[in-house]
Amino acid sequence: MFKSPLEILPPPGKSQSQISLHKIRRVASDQLTGLGCWVAIPTTPDPSLPPLVVVHGVYRDVEGMLKVLTSRFSHGRRTVIAPVFDETNWRGYQRVLAERRADLALLSLLKSINLPGVADISSFDLLGYSGGAQFAHRFALLYPHLINRLALCSAGWYTFPDNSPYPYGLARPEKKLQGFTPLVRSNLSAFLRLPIEVFVGERDTDQDQNLRRGKAIDRQQGDNRVERATNWVKALNEAVCAQGLTSQVNLTVMDGCGHDWRECVYLGGLVGLWLPREAPEHLAPKMTQ
Amino acid sequence: MKIANLMNTVDMIQAAKWAFSTRRVKQNDAVGLCNDVGLARSGDLVLGRIQRIGSHKRIQLRSGRPNELYQGDLIIVACGARYASDQFEGIAQLNPQGADLLAGGGCLGKMRVRNGKMKLPTRVLPIGLLTDEKGAVLNLDQYALPLAIRPQKLTAIGVVGASMNSGKTDATASLVHGLRLAGYRVAALKATGTGAFGDYNAYVDAGADFTADFTDAGMVSTYEQPLLRIERGIDTLLGAADNNGCNIAVVEFADGVLQQETAAMLKNPRVCSAFGGFLYAVPDSLAALGGAYALKQIGIVPLALTGLITQSPLNVNEAEKATGLPVISREELRDPAQASCLVNSNTSIVKQRLVV
Repeated sequence: MFKSPLEILPPPGKSQSQISLHKIRRVASDQLTGLGCWVAIPTTPDPSLPPLVVVHGVYRDVEGMLKVLTSRFSHGRRTVIAPVFDETNWRGYQRVLAERRADLALLSLLKSINLPGVADISSFDLLGYSGGAQFAHRFALLYPHLINRLALCSAGWYTFPDNSPYPYGLARPEKKLQGFTPLVRSNLSAFLRLPIEVFVGERDTDQDQNLRRGKAIDRQQGDNRVERATNWVKALNEAVCAQGLTSQVNLTVMDGCGHDWRECVYLGGLVGLWLPREAPEHLAPKMTQ
Repeated sequence: MKIANLMNTVDMIQAAKWAFSTRRVKQNDAVGLCNDVGLARSGDLVLGRIQRIGSHKRIQLRSGRPNELYQGDLIIVACGARYASDQFEGIAQLNPQGADLLAGGGCLGKMRVRNGKMKLPTRVLPIGLLTDEKGAVLNLDQYALPLAIRPQKLTAIGVVGASMNSGKTDATASLVHGLRLAGYRVAALKATGTGAFGDYNAYVDAGADFTADFTDAGMVSTYEQPLLRIERGIDTLLGAADNNGCNIAVVEFADGVLQQETAAMLKNPRVCSAFGGFLYAVPDSLAALGGAYALKQIGIVPLALTGLITQSPLNVNEAEKATGLPVISREELRDPAQASCLVNSNTSIVKQRLVV
């Protein structure tokens, strides 16, 4: 089904930026929020396409992540925005409501940013990788109305649709988080209506230092990223059924991939799987469940 | 009807201070006066002269700022009733010898009851009712937004309270602000009450994309107005919000949940079906319990309690235990995450009642 890694990797002698149909630019941090971003500006922007917001993991190689992603795009029409939650200011950004409010920073960034090809920021596609996938689904739980489509790749752990206290589940935490106790459960129904694609590498089963561990979370979610993704999608689909909705939640285990962004994009064919219209035809394998 | 001298009339009309309640009126339409002020009905525009300064020392201008009143000032206001438990209760009736300024927003009528802490109302001599070039009396309803059918896709959140000054407007403005930050296009509306710019300006300051009240639906006050008119007024405001591109509306109801027009609207299934839920603003825990019970009797379980009670942690604990409802401060309402969550909450009991 998939092309071999050698066929998919960028042609030798050309850097990814050279073959990209986007210009990659750095936007300095907003003084108020302390959040900057990298943007991929398309060569021929199409304002009718919702922007794509991509959130990085804890290794924070945002520029590299963006270049790898856009190198797989077959056309340069969609703007991609990749916020930078730097290590100094944004430890714990994955939990969204912990320490500094990462959600407020992203909202402020999206409101203030003025980019070609972005006519309307009121709805966007959201993709997160690793810690960024944690952020992405929690952001979508708080603001489902802003999300057009959601994709999570290789998240370490999830907020489950159960009665565990937030952020493990949707119950109100005993202590206020940053001054308030969010009524996250209220948004579950709207969240479950979103098209949600969950990706995880087939070999992403290591219990590495960045994977949150503990008896409670292992029991709730599983021992590794593959188990946790599987269990979360199962839990979401049960919640979808319980609410009488039509499921748009899918899991794709990507052949041969570990916990590695480049592998997920180049080998797993992430762009073709999630954004088939953005990818060349030969890079758009059919969805696997 | 007897028409007053046109020259003097136009001069007086131009010199007068036009109240906020007249903000939709085309001033050039007013070219004459009808002296039969005793025939005035609610909404009729009145030219009056300040006889004695009383409780209201200022009038709210249509430009949106307060204006100090002086004896002898000419004002243009609307004849109307008022229900305000902390101030006056009065009816839409004008005595040619002198009438009462019931509200600084520009509502003139006859006071019947006043709160013990209030001075007597500012007294106004009604000179005449404004008329157009054909001699017809001008009324606010001529300048109302066009009647609209309630939009189907607009989400509406109602804000009701235990009483006047329980924190409804603050809650409304705060939720508007939070929803704006969360990326919604938000309308701030006031469904019932007496026309004044305090609430209106609070909504504008909060960043509402569209602001309107019952005055925009042609009423200076909803007190003692036909219930169907108020209901249609709400639909008109929601329709205008939709026409202005809003996808959500926060709608404040004046006074307490026991006030007759507010209570009637809340008991009306057709009105309630416009709302995804209600916030209930209260000053203390007992008002929370009593009001929650009263609302439950008419089929409404609020999404949350809010209002002045949030200043008292002890009262908050009591109210949460007694009612089982969350208590949300204005700071939380201003938080886009919490505002977003509130919008997606639902009041199942309301829906069950509607199904029945």
